[in-house]
Amino acid sequence: MAQAPVLERNPLRDGLVLARTPDPCAMVIFGATGDLTHRKLMPALYNLALNHYLPQGFTVVGAAHSPLSDEEFRSQMRDAVGKYSRTQPIDSEVWRSFSGGLHYVSMAFEDPSGYARISSVLQDVDGTRGTAGNRVFYMATLPGVFTTVVRSLGTAGLSQTAGWTRVVIEKPFGHDLASAQALNTAVHEVFKEPQVYRIDHYLGKETVQNVMVFRFANGIFEPIWNRRYVDHMQITVAEDIGIEQRGAYYEQTGALRDIAQNHLLQLLSITGMEAPANFDAETVRDEKVKVLKSIRPVDVAHDVVRGQYGPGWVAGQEVKGYRQEAEVSPTSLTETYGALRLYIDNWRWADTPFYLRTGKRLPTRASEIAITFKKAPHQPFAKTVVQELSPNVLVMRIQPHEGASLKIAAKVPGPTMRLRTVNMDFFYGSSFLVESPDAYERLILDCMLGDPTLFAREDEVERAWQLTDEIERGWAAEPPPDFPNYAAGTWGPEAADALMERDGRRWRRP
Amino acid sequence: MSGDHGEVQTQPMVDIHAIEEELAQVRWKLKPDGEIGEAEMHAAAEARASVLNLITVVESESRYRSITQVLDELAVHHPSRTLVLLAQEERAAMKLEAGVVAEAHLDSGHRVVTEQVLLHAHGAIAEHLASLVQPLLIPDLPIMLWWPGRPDFDSRLFNELSDLGDRLVVDTDEGFAPTDLARLLQVARRRSQGCAIGDFNWARLLPWRQLAAQFFDMPTTLARLAGLHGVTVWYGADGPSTQALLLAGWVESRMASVGITVGRVVRADPAFPPGVGRLMLYSDGSDERSRFSITKLPGGRLATEMRLGDEDVGGRTVRLEHRGAAELLAIELTLPGHDPVYEEALAAAARG
Repeated sequence: MAQAPVLERNPLRDGLVLARTPDPCAMVIFGATGDLTHRKLMPALYNLALNHYLPQGFTVVGAAHSPLSDEEFRSQMRDAVGKYSRTQPIDSEVWRSFSGGLHYVSMAFEDPSGYARISSVLQDVDGTRGTAGNRVFYMATLPGVFTTVVRSLGTAGLSQTAGWTRVVIEKPFGHDLASAQALNTAVHEVFKEPQVYRIDHYLGKETVQNVMVFRFANGIFEPIWNRRYVDHMQITVAEDIGIEQRGAYYEQTGALRDIAQNHLLQLLSITGMEAPANFDAETVRDEKVKVLKSIRPVDVAHDVVRGQYGPGWVAGQEVKGYRQEAEVSPTSLTETYGALRLYIDNWRWADTPFYLRTGKRLPTRASEIAITFKKAPHQPFAKTVVQELSPNVLVMRIQPHEGASLKIAAKVPGPTMRLRTVNMDFFYGSSFLVESPDAYERLILDCMLGDPTLFAREDEVERAWQLTDEIERGWAAEPPPDFPNYAAGTWGPEAADALMERDGRRWRRP
Repeated sequence: MSGDHGEVQTQPMVDIHAIEEELAQVRWKLKPDGEIGEAEMHAAAEARASVLNLITVVESESRYRSITQVLDELAVHHPSRTLVLLAQEERAAMKLEAGVVAEAHLDSGHRVVTEQVLLHAHGAIAEHLASLVQPLLIPDLPIMLWWPGRPDFDSRLFNELSDLGDRLVVDTDEGFAPTDLARLLQVARRRSQGCAIGDFNWARLLPWRQLAAQFFDMPTTLARLAGLHGVTVWYGADGPSTQALLLAGWVESRMASVGITVGRVVRADPAFPPGVGRLMLYSDGSDERSRFSITKLPGGRLATEMRLGDEDVGGRTVRLEHRGAAELLAIELTLPGHDPVYEEALAAAARG
């Protein structure tokens, strides 16, 4: 046969930029029979397979305690996908083809022989399915065993292969700075930081990414995105649900650790960050960390409000108070609401307050970033005409209806000068027909492609915990709070309103 | 004014300013005398999102009715100024009628207003419709020209509109002869910034292209791609061959870009429904023969197979989504500029 030329790239890939396909690889899921695997991971993987985003030969090795055969595992996963996949019904042929790559290893996570069995399955599929030593290790277990699993991977030699290896860690990454550092140290004994993917699914949401596009792809917003024009920012992550079945977990966590430490601070960093020089993972994350590092030390007594909901009404339904929930202490001091005033001490934001709040059992579910601009410096119109005017507000809504709106003043048509505030609304749904993929689909794909931009980096996580710890310490020094201090179905404790009123401002009603 | 798109009432109206005025009125719900009530005032204060100008040309009323359904499906998600030109040059009486419709749709609780102008030209005036189009476009937004069916490449209307447009969207499965592919390519290459071409067939081939590329993502198979010497595409004998020509042209042109010459064969097969039924790639790289195939299965699926030497490896099945005209058009509307990979595939396909 003729000598074929050597190809350095696959020419058939040209122009297929929208459809990236990762290298053939195997994903090992620890905690493969758990809730996260059922609800999120397996449906996400199935949908990726359905839309041919997965590489040829993609393989999953599930690992968990339950004694299951490969077939039993596949059937369990089939049920999970049938229940939780965003696309229905399940295409049986596609499932059959995809599930051919599902394997299961029953093991105790502290038992070295389990890792040897995983290793042998992986070696098999490297040969039979062409996965070439490329591995993703996904920690879908309870956080308590992360360290055990990661160390065992190192001991078993699973982190060293002919291909690439990556490890995905679900939040929470620790419960305070010390535990986060301990976890990072343990992980780094086996994996280098570029191999570590910490998932905060909030960053996989299309609209969160859109905040960056909105800011940096449009020339008109960045020039006014600073202390000269911005009066203050309000970042809200409001939930109408309570703690559902997670009483025991929530008692140990609270709103500050559960939402503020990750989601609120992530939103703060992408809203406050400088324009990155490019969209490389490290460059973007460097800018985000700079914001967190510039946050002024928090005066807990003045800048932080905590709350806990009592009984009340949400959306026409009478609901229990937090202390009446299952697995919650009747004298619990865990906060279900937190509001903070933060300052970012840099040239762009000096003295511009950022108000952040999150809570359970608030009147509605809403996540948004609202930028309130300063009033026009001089009003040439009569006082009576302008007193009703509110300042310009730019709102970026993350959920439920993703989009943006801008409040502007306009003249009411007619012979007299009457002004009023109108809302210009834009929602993404109306401009794009494409259905948004689930955040997990995006993030799993990014991980397999080796793009960590939307994952939290070590220093980011640790700085966020440092801030949270400061607040926790401040609270510990205060007398115990008088909980509950807001009724379910209201916008939080009165002290939160007072926090704003002291500054002559008010919370938005999202 | 609002109404059912399928039943747009037209009236003789050749005054372009009258159409513009009517568009402004329905867009902002302004009354002709300039006075507006409280409700209209509120409506006027709403922002209207528009992402593009969409011009579509049809030659019969029946075609008009079928495309309005597609335009309706599309309208909410791609708010645009839509101009429908019903050009009936063969009619004896020379006459121009126009109708304007603006409709408010509620989507996820948001109001989206869509606008459609129908220009119905009878007789020779049909040839000059482009002169009516220009003043009706929204400035600064891209102009998409959707031409259902095969255009008359020599007509004045087609040439003027494709000169005006940023993108011409056609479906080469609809009435195109293999010889028309070269004509289509000329449109894209007519001037330095020629009108980009969008082709529903290209979007339909996306899963085929993705799967074919995925065969060679592994270093071991990349060596076999270097030894690729043949491609065969089978297509349903009841349908046109253009899609198959395009797919084979794609393989040929991509491989030519890295200096590899591939022989291509396109075959009709009654066993397949219309469209591409099977793609087969033959290689003798890595010192043995190998064969890579993608086959359309009943029920909207594609199955892949790799035969390396004497061994069958790594077959799998994925979904082949059926995309309707609205969805294909929606994909086209979001694509930017020229697609050189398509144009090269088209050029290869046009060589016959």
